[in-house]
Amino acid sequence: MIGSGISTWIRSSLLARFDLSSMGRSLVFWGLAVSALGLCLALSNTGIRWRRLGHVIGGLGLVLLAIALPKLSDLSTVEKWTQQIVFWLLSGMAIGCSAAAVTARNPVYTAIWFAASLLGVAGLFLFQNAQFLGVATIVVYAGAIIVTFLFVLMLANPEGQANYDRISWAKFPVPLLVLSGAALVAFAAISFFEEPPPAASSGSGTLASSDHMAHLGGELFAKHLVSVEVVGTILLVALVGAVAIVIQGRERRVASSMKTDSILARRNA
Amino acid sequence: MSEATALLGNYLVVGALLFVIGLIGFVVRRNTIVMFLCAEMMLQGVSVSLIGWGRYHDDWGGQMLVLFIIAVAAAEAGIAMALVMMLFHKSGTLDIAFWQDLRDEGLPRFVDRQIPEAREEEHVWPTLPVAGVEPVVDAEELLHRSRV
Repeated sequence: MIGSGISTWIRSSLLARFDLSSMGRSLVFWGLAVSALGLCLALSNTGIRWRRLGHVIGGLGLVLLAIALPKLSDLSTVEKWTQQIVFWLLSGMAIGCSAAAVTARNPVYTAIWFAASLLGVAGLFLFQNAQFLGVATIVVYAGAIIVTFLFVLMLANPEGQANYDRISWAKFPVPLLVLSGAALVAFAAISFFEEPPPAASSGSGTLASSDHMAHLGGELFAKHLVSVEVVGTILLVALVGAVAIVIQGRERRVASSMKTDSILARRNA
Repeated sequence: MSEATALLGNYLVVGALLFVIGLIGFVVRRNTIVMFLCAEMMLQGVSVSLIGWGRYHDDWGGQMLVLFIIAVAAAEAGIAMALVMMLFHKSGTLDIAFWQDLRDEGLPRFVDRQIPEAREEEHVWPTLPVAGVEPVVDAEELLHRSRV
């Protein structure tokens, strides 16, 4: 009885929203499917021609998606066209560079492609009037976190292209994953676009003002003070933890090398 | 469809695509550092969605949460890099397949069956000097790594 209740719930709520025939006709779905196929080809272990073909097909899929998604405005004036094109460029850069990062064979190229993707994401933040976050993404993420990654990559240096960078995991799950990922995105996009927009929200109205930093600071330290303190504690704990992990590892290595030194000394004496 | 809804929908699709590409990269790649970069990519996808929602509802909460995401991601990157260095010192490689004995019971072992060849231009054949003449050795040339 519970099983039949659950199945009727699934049928009524989920499947009723995801109408498969209309999805097959929608260009959004086909754009996503083509770009998923492109990503799958680009991830494959076969030669460089298949991977280049995969990149081209992925790009075509993204173009289809850009055409298919609803435009930002009615595109009547040059200003609105400029806005649309800027949005396309920024989001294309973010998504394209992240796909290149995932399919790159060299881990240093991955890090640099990811930094380029972060530039696109920071641009998208600036587009939405989140100026502090746009700059903070570039300074903290691209400027500190990725540089840390590159330092660690330098210390753990693979000579040339290691073979574990040229192979991905087993062949069958890859297309399955990519296609199910695309299906997830397609469901989210399509189900959202068919819903009517919610009632007018009682927002603060200060999001688009020119005093961005003043309002952000006010909001952060008034409503979210406890969270700020907690995040500060998290940063301290992470710092101490990272140092502790490295020191403990070094002590163990020093102890083991001292042990071998003493064994050798006793043998030679 | 109003302009606000269209903008929100586009931002959600971009955020979802970033998240999904990061997810696929995390599962597919074998280099620990690249796996971690893909985790950061997933966080970026979520950030884009949060900013979109914040702007749609004219609420600062989205931007606040993204600020905290950036801070926590930085902390997580520090610890993850320390762990990656420890794993590298124990195993000598950045390959996560080295640790595959931690997998669930019943799952088969992953064996590298087919290793794709390196690219052709990596084969730089040495040239021999004239016999009887000692070649001029440049100390910097010996230490130079042409490919990182």
